Amino acid sequence: MGVDLARKNLLHDKLRFLITVSGVAFAVTLVFVQVGLFMGLLDNASITIEHIDADLWVTSKNTPNVDFAQTFPETAVQRVRSVPGVERADNLIVWFMTMALPTGAKEGTLVYALEDFERWKFPWNVVEGDLTDLRRGNYLFLDASAEKRFGKFQVGEYREVIGHRMKIIGRTQDALSFSTTPILFLDYRRAQEMSPDELSGNTTYVLVKLAPGATPGDVEAVRREIKRRLPHNDIHTREEWASRSRRYWVESTGLGLNLAMTVFLGCLVGIVVVAQTLYTSTMEHIKEFGTVKAIGGSNWDIYKILGEQAVIAAVVGFLLGGLMSWFLRPTMASIGLKLIISQPFAAMVGVGTLVLCLSAAMISFRKVARIDPALVFRT
Amino acid sequence: MSVLQAHDVTKIFQEGRETVSVLNGASLLVERGEVVALEGPSGSGKTTFLSILGCILTPTAGRVVVDGREVDPKRPDQLPEIRKQSIGFVFQQFNLFPALTALENVEYALNIKGHRGQDARKEAQRVLEAVGLGDRLRFLPRDLSGGQKQRVAIARALAGAPPVVLADEPTANLDSQVGGQVLEMFRDLAKQENRALLIVTHDPKVRTIADRVVQIRDGRLAA
Repeated sequence: MGVDLARKNLLHDKLRFLITVSGVAFAVTLVFVQVGLFMGLLDNASITIEHIDADLWVTSKNTPNVDFAQTFPETAVQRVRSVPGVERADNLIVWFMTMALPTGAKEGTLVYALEDFERWKFPWNVVEGDLTDLRRGNYLFLDASAEKRFGKFQVGEYREVIGHRMKIIGRTQDALSFSTTPILFLDYRRAQEMSPDELSGNTTYVLVKLAPGATPGDVEAVRREIKRRLPHNDIHTREEWASRSRRYWVESTGLGLNLAMTVFLGCLVGIVVVAQTLYTSTMEHIKEFGTVKAIGGSNWDIYKILGEQAVIAAVVGFLLGGLMSWFLRPTMASIGLKLIISQPFAAMVGVGTLVLCLSAAMISFRKVARIDPALVFRT
Repeated sequence: MSVLQAHDVTKIFQEGRETVSVLNGASLLVERGEVVALEGPSGSGKTTFLSILGCILTPTAGRVVVDGREVDPKRPDQLPEIRKQSIGFVFQQFNLFPALTALENVEYALNIKGHRGQDARKEAQRVLEAVGLGDRLRFLPRDLSGGQKQRVAIARALAGAPPVVLADEPTANLDSQVGGQVLEMFRDLAKQENRALLIVTHDPKVRTIADRVVQIRDGRLAA
């Protein structure tokens, strides 16, 4: 171990160190928050697909995502049920309806309607009520997230959905849509009765559960057979369908580009701050670096100093930015936003921060290479 | 054999279209344990000569030999290695690292020279005690007086036992009394440790401690 000139110099000027680290932390927070919120939104885009216990989804041709469903004859389910390897298949309606609020306003709501919810383990987080009661009358379950747009509600209250007076008999949690349209749950037949023009005799999806122990080969065989029987429909595995639903929002809304721009700007801010402070620091320590060279040090000795300073700034800035983002999560959650920071993503940001800070340090390398050790004799 | 040798050293700088001849055949031999003062007016070429002897600059013509190693002007990449192994420097403005303590300043120079760990620390402590700063090891330069800073710089130059020590106006930033004390201590240590010491100076006090005084005028040396 030797004397750590890099660290000592960096910490000697505490204000400069604070500015450098703040720049990195700001960039890291920006990337974490922007990408984390985006991941949270994308998670909403496919959260229902991931929680419904179906291996395959039969959709109408070219349905872009789970929310924008198109109808097709519900008798298709019979043809699916008779495919060898299918354990069960049911119709699922996903449909936009309008709800009248106590304030007199009307808001859109996204209806999920099944004959037997429990069989599909959906919705997955029931806070209040019994799902089997849905088929007993004009009843609905409403997700707690609806309170943000519809106002507070209690189980036992009534709401009007496209002109039908419905009683709220249960509350769920975490059932969200990408567009933040609140999700409610209805009995399948009730949904058809409420909107007969579009839904009578029609469904929007067929959910397919394969026999236990089905291999990927079995899944593919069943999919081929369903496709043969229903040539005018699309058949997706759960993962494909979730991915397609997410991709729709990324590509069609410009959110992907927006995100890329924000991440780019965040990185740019970080790299400029680090490069600027390291360069200024190099200029201010130029006589010291001249001394290092005069006493026999090489350019490489000075590169190591700058490199180590960049690494310290990257690590401290990353930890600070990571902590700030982590502590922002409850605040985001309180306004209904999900901030998802997965470990692989955090690791990626960590490596990116390190690479960017080292690249920023390299801007000073040229200056260092030109330092004339003879400057130590100048007064 | 002289530990520091300069034979007919010439240095010509190109300044735009003009050529400026700073050294015109300067020759000097310095033995181990010898203290030599190099005097001369401003612009006489003292610092350029010191830079060439210190392997910071290469001569346009002539030969320089440091500790038996001939400097090849065509191989400037060898210069840092010669500086590292054979030369210690003391600068007019001390040039200490402000973020490092006295001990760390000396230890860092030893690290550059390839000494590491406890060996470097012990050697740094030894030379600092030798210059009378045993009780100031953990002080930052800002907490030291001018004389103490120059003692740290001298300790740094002596650390690692380089056979040649070059000093550029070491008393210029010190008052007369402190300057005298520093010079005496510097001479004693150089003698004691058998180093060749060349001091470039304007200060007449240096004459009193030097074994030999060499004058430089218009790029030529005269005893």
